[in-house]
Amino acid sequence: MSFTGVGVGLRRPHLEAVAALSASPVPFWEFAPENVIGQGGRKARLTREILQRDPVLTHGLSLSIGGPDDWDPEQIRDLKAFLRELEAPWHSEHLCWTSLGGATTHELLPVPFTKEGVARCVARSRELQDRLELPFLLENISWYAELGEPEMDERAFLTEVLEGADVGWLLDINNLYVNSVNHGFDAKAWLTGMPLHRVAQMHIAGHDWFEEDRLIIDTHGAPVIDPVVELMQWVLPRIQEATGKAVPVLLERDNAIPELEELLAERARLQVAYDAALADSEVAG
Amino acid sequence: MSRLDNLQRSMFDLMVAPDAAPFLADPQGWGQARGLETADQGALAARATRLAVYRDLVQFALTDPVEDCFPITQALLEAEGAWKGCLAAFLDSRTVQSPYYRDVAPAFLAWLVDSGWGAERWPYLLPLAHWEHLELELLRHPDGPPAEGLTPEPAPDATLVAEVTLRNLTYPCHVQEAGVEDPIPPDGPSHLLAWRDREGSFRSLELSPTASALLARWMAGDPLGPAAEALGVDRGEALRLGRDLYAKGALAGFRSA
Ligand SMILES: [Fe+2]
Repeated sequence: MSFTGVGVGLRRPHLEAVAALSASPVPFWEFAPENVIGQGGRKARLTREILQRDPVLTHGLSLSIGGPDDWDPEQIRDLKAFLRELEAPWHSEHLCWTSLGGATTHELLPVPFTKEGVARCVARSRELQDRLELPFLLENISWYAELGEPEMDERAFLTEVLEGADVGWLLDINNLYVNSVNHGFDAKAWLTGMPLHRVAQMHIAGHDWFEEDRLIIDTHGAPVIDPVVELMQWVLPRIQEATGKAVPVLLERDNAIPELEELLAERARLQVAYDAALADSEVAG
Repeated sequence: MSRLDNLQRSMFDLMVAPDAAPFLADPQGWGQARGLETADQGALAARATRLAVYRDLVQFALTDPVEDCFPITQALLEAEGAWKGCLAAFLDSRTVQSPYYRDVAPAFLAWLVDSGWGAERWPYLLPLAHWEHLELELLRHPDGPPAEGLTPEPAPDATLVAEVTLRNLTYPCHVQEAGVEDPIPPDGPSHLLAWRDREGSFRSLELSPTASALLARWMAGDPLGPAAEALGVDRGEALRLGRDLYAKGALAGFRSA
C-alpha cells in the first residue's frame, strides 16, 4: 500500500462514528499503538475494527529515544507484534525524551543539543529500528528551551541524528513553525539544506498562543493556521523532488477535539492545498 | 554521571518538584546543587522561565487524567484544601512508570494505597478512590476468552461463569452515594457488584449482605443450589438472581454439572 495525501489522527471521541461508516473517510489514519495495546472493551474493539478495515500509519509517544532508561522488553515485544499485525510500513517517534529512572513525564522533553545527545539518539534509534525490524522515523518536536548549553543548533542536531542513525524523518511542519516563532528564525531558511530526502511523512496541526508566557504552545488544540499550510505547500514539492514521492501528511488534533465532520472538513481543505502544491510543481517541473 | 545524564536528572527534578519557586529564585544554584557544569548552570538561568513552562506541561499531563478519573475524591480534598498537596505528593513520588498514558490514574490509586496518604485523616478516601477508579478499570479491562459450552439458564446443580470484569466488592462506607456535591460517603458497609456488560458499558448493583455472600460462593465455584441453601436463601429466589445477572451481562453463563 502506498500512503499519500492528507490523513487524520484517529481519536477516541470519533471511534463510534468512524466504525459506523462502511469505508474509510480518509486516505489513511494515524494511530498510537500505546492507546490500544493490552486493552479490552468497546473502545478497543471499535479501534481494532477500524484499524483492520482502513489504511493506517503508526506513531509512538513513549519510547523516550533521547532518555537513559532501557526499554521494557515486554513493551517492545507487544509493539512489534502490533505493528506486524497491522502491516505498518514504518513506525515513528519523537526526537525527545520522556522518562528517567523508571518514572515518566508523558511530555516530550528536549534532548540537549550536544554531541553526547546526538550519540545517544543515534544509538537508540538504530537499536529500535533493528528490534522492530521496521523502518523507523524520527519527528522534530516543538521545543521551548534548550536543555543546557548547546554545542550546536537544532538543524545540526537533527541532521546528525537522522544521518547517524540512518532513519527517516517525520517532518512536523507545525512544530517547525512553532519553533520559528518562539525562537525567532525563518522556517524556509531553516529547511533549506536539510536532509529532505529522508522525509517519509509529515505532520500538520494547530497550536495556541499563550500571552503570559509570550510563547506558542504546541497544543494540537486548534485549526491549522494559513502560514503553516503555506509552509507545507512550500516544502511538499521540494520533498517530492528529493524523494520522488508525494509524501503523506497527517493532520493531528489532540485537544478541543471537534466533531468528526468538522475535522474531515479541515482535512478536505488541507487536501486541496496539498494537491495544488504538487500540481503547481508538476507544471513548473 | 555524564553531562547528559546530569542535565536530564536536573530537568526531571524540576518537572516533578512540588514548587517551581526554589528553581526560579536561583536556577544557577539549582544546577550547581545537581553537579551541572558552569556553562549548563548559566544555560538553566538564561532559560529558567521557559523551563518552568515545561514543568507546567508535565504537571498538567500527569494530573489531568487523575482529575478526570477521580472528580469526587478531588471535590472531597478540595473542600479540605488538600487536593493540590495530594497531587504534589503524588508527582513527587515519581510512581508514574508505565509507558501507557491510561495507567496514570491507576498509578494514582496505587500510590494512595502504598503511601497511605491521607488515610488516617480521611478513612473513606481510599474506598472512595477505589470505587471511582473501578469504572475506568473495568471499561478497558482485557477481554476474556470466548466462553463455550455455557447455558443462559441457571440450574441448582450448575455453576456460574462470571464475565471477566465482574467484581463483588464490600466497602466500609457507601461509596456509591458520594457525589461531587456531597463527596463524603455515609458510614457503614456497602456491598456492590460491578461489571462491564455486553455492550461495553459499566454497570453496578447494590446487594444485600446475603446476596453478596451468595455471589462470593458462586464465584468461588460452588453449585448454585447448595450455595443458596447453605446461606438460608430460597432456591427459587437464588436462581432468579442468577437469571437476572445473566440478563444484565454480568455473567458469561452457567455450566451444567
Ligand atoms: Fe507531530
